[in-house]
Amino acid sequence: MDRRKFLKDSALASSLLFVPSFLKAFESVDATRLGYKRLVIVQLAGGNDGLNTIIPYNNDIYYNSRPRLAITKDIIKMTDDLGFHSSLAPLRSLFDNGELSILNNVGYPNPVRSHFRSMDIWQTASDSNQYLQSGWLGRYMDMYGKKPYNAIEMDEQLSLAMKGEHFNGIATNDYKVLYRTAKDPFFESVHNHYNDAHLNEHNLGYLYQTMIEAKSSAKYIYENTKVKLSQQDYPKNALAKQLKNVAQFINSNIDTKVFYTSLGGFDTHANQQDKQARLLSQYAESISSFVKDLKQNGTFKDTLILTFSEFGRRVKQNAANGTDHGAANNVFVIGKNLKQAGFYNNLASLKDLDSNGDLKYEIDFRTVYATILSKWLNANDEVVLNQNFKKLSFI
Amino acid sequence: MTQKELQHLYWRAGFGWYPKNYNGFSKDRKQVVNSLFEDSQSITPIELDFSYFKGVDPNDIKKFPSLAKEIQRKSKKKILELNYTWVKKLIKPKELLRERMTLFWTNHFVCRDRNPLFSQQYNNTVRYYALGDFRAFVKAISKDAAMLRYLNGKQNRKRKPNENFARELMELFTLGEGHYTENDIKESARAFTGYNHNFLGEFRFWESQHDYGFKTFMDKTARFDGDDIIDEILSNKQCARFICGKVYSYFVNPKPNKTHIEAMANVFFKDYNIENLMRFVFMSDWFYAEENIGSKIKSPIEFLVGIANTVPVKFERDKDLLVIQRLLGQMLLDPPNVAGWKGDKAWIDANTIMIRLKLPSVLLNNALISLKEYGDFNDKFREEYFKRSKDKLPFKTSPDWDAFLKNFKTIETKKLSEVIIQGQINKGTAEYLKTLSKASKRDYCIQLMSLPEYQMC
Repeated sequence: MDRRKFLKDSALASSLLFVPSFLKAFESVDATRLGYKRLVIVQLAGGNDGLNTIIPYNNDIYYNSRPRLAITKDIIKMTDDLGFHSSLAPLRSLFDNGELSILNNVGYPNPVRSHFRSMDIWQTASDSNQYLQSGWLGRYMDMYGKKPYNAIEMDEQLSLAMKGEHFNGIATNDYKVLYRTAKDPFFESVHNHYNDAHLNEHNLGYLYQTMIEAKSSAKYIYENTKVKLSQQDYPKNALAKQLKNVAQFINSNIDTKVFYTSLGGFDTHANQQDKQARLLSQYAESISSFVKDLKQNGTFKDTLILTFSEFGRRVKQNAANGTDHGAANNVFVIGKNLKQAGFYNNLASLKDLDSNGDLKYEIDFRTVYATILSKWLNANDEVVLNQNFKKLSFI
Repeated sequence: MTQKELQHLYWRAGFGWYPKNYNGFSKDRKQVVNSLFEDSQSITPIELDFSYFKGVDPNDIKKFPSLAKEIQRKSKKKILELNYTWVKKLIKPKELLRERMTLFWTNHFVCRDRNPLFSQQYNNTVRYYALGDFRAFVKAISKDAAMLRYLNGKQNRKRKPNENFARELMELFTLGEGHYTENDIKESARAFTGYNHNFLGEFRFWESQHDYGFKTFMDKTARFDGDDIIDEILSNKQCARFICGKVYSYFVNPKPNKTHIEAMANVFFKDYNIENLMRFVFMSDWFYAEENIGSKIKSPIEFLVGIANTVPVKFERDKDLLVIQRLLGQMLLDPPNVAGWKGDKAWIDANTIMIRLKLPSVLLNNALISLKEYGDFNDKFREEYFKRSKDKLPFKTSPDWDAFLKNFKTIETKKLSEVIIQGQINKGTAEYLKTLSKASKRDYCIQLMSLPEYQMC
């Protein structure tokens, strides 16, 4: 019998023998778990071409600006003006069920067209000329997080978004490896001998504390993640793998508020069509499996999924059948009981572009963050974002 | 100088110390410090082969997309080569202090450019001025191609000023926040208009784009140009104070000490000579104070280079160096933003601490950290197990333990901790170390390198 099964069985046995304590345990689960809202971020890195994702299929300017790149075939028409790229077909049912809200023209004033810098701006929620060294989710966790595993990124490296002033989330693409590393008997011995008197204030004390936290986080995640829970099939791609793990964590009810995932490759300066179609279908299929998985386990209603990219792309195509870095772009919000599902707003004018020929922003991305922080995570968005942003009505 | 002081100096002015170079050393502080500066009088720039780029006519790149693509592909590779070359240069540098200063200044005048030629040129500019005249340094930076691109200097034109460089010049490079007004930024941005560079990264001044008008900067009105603005900024002692604060937290202690920083600023403000400033720091008694020794959390590069200095190790695949930098959170030439790496505690989170604790054993000992407190069968078994799993390790390295043993011949194994670890060891951990077998110097070295204490310098 393996250890987990043993624990499970013995827990069951004891609960049957001591009914009152079983009930008591159940009560406490109720109190802390019900309505435990989670946020999942999906970052489309490289700058997804929003105009070929959500297509203004009745707009002449769109076709004139992109003589060889405009999508003409298999558009899934959602309204009289806007349609989905055919790769987004798996998301259609979400849209029809009122579980997907698409915010058009999301951006910020004085947009920066460097991937690097714009990603920074999105992750730190800064102004375009401001350099912050902590991320918006990290600052949220500064206030509401206790343990590193309260925020998990499905990568080897922690994004700036997940680093607070004090709090740092956990980054792991394989929590089992993290667990095995932390379990090295040498570290166990060091840990067991550690004497924390007089050290807490110093850097060395901080190192020990972080080590101990890392060990206990790895242990917590490993021991509380139920592996064989999911019956859902996932496609085979990098994002699906991350989301499958996230579903496993969520469905195991681990104490994590924020998950961070990412899919790269959207920087389509040349031969965009096939590349983007492939990436979008990876995205849509993965999300569709993920949502089904959550629904089967009754956890979808407490999960909100936010998809963004650091910028959109230029309205005019370039000579290499691709598009160059642009500005405002669409953002997807997926969840149950959205207040305003479907298209949250109209696409900005393709006539009235900025001086670079890019879409003008209408919704500041930080109002999206502020809305999620205050309405979904029940957090003080003004402290997290250092400014009072307007709240939107999609949730 | 005591051995402890020597080690401290070499961890701060270089990347660690090993006993082999102790024999030839004088114990007189002045002589030791002098030799550091003497060794760094020369400059060895990084010079990669850029023939693929230099022969190209920039007009052809516009005309032929395939050529543009080809150059882009080669440049991507070149920038990685630049990274490896730099990291390797840090491991056994000819000019130790100069390289240390170069690393420091690149996280002060932060810049990132994906054009490898410009990036190399920038790196060499910083190396050239690293111990020189700060005034000339700032002026050179303001005209450097990579910086002109990074902070939009080349978009800064008479009719359409771009304030990006002017703002960071004052906020991050010279004065610090709160010592200038928004109007100072606006006016000084006009003084830097017309700065540009050519295809090969040489500075070009476009007179027609330069604003020759009067500017009012810091309460003075004149037809300032860019160099004038830098002179005005440097005439404010706050600039010396700001730089000295940064030097102090990097070279001395992350916790500032106002008295010492003011003393440094008095020295620096006289002539803005970086060498004089550093000499003052390394000659000061307070530099060697107990509270400063082992007070700093090593940056990933200090950590990695420090390991390789103690146990010479060959990386069989260059890309492993890149992966390690990424995992530890500091990829050279790829800073997070113009504010640079925050450093100190920000290096450490739950992931990076585990990677750091495990990395020495992975690079040097097939991932095995010995447990020879009992010297028993279990340990033999583990050793075999780890040897067999060698192929599964993420990195391919060849550590040279013979060289280590030769270098550390004069150090008794039980005293190894004093050389490997800077600063104090946690009491409980020290007790634990006592119980470990000291039969193998190599095993003990790995054990010491796998401690939280090893993260400090």
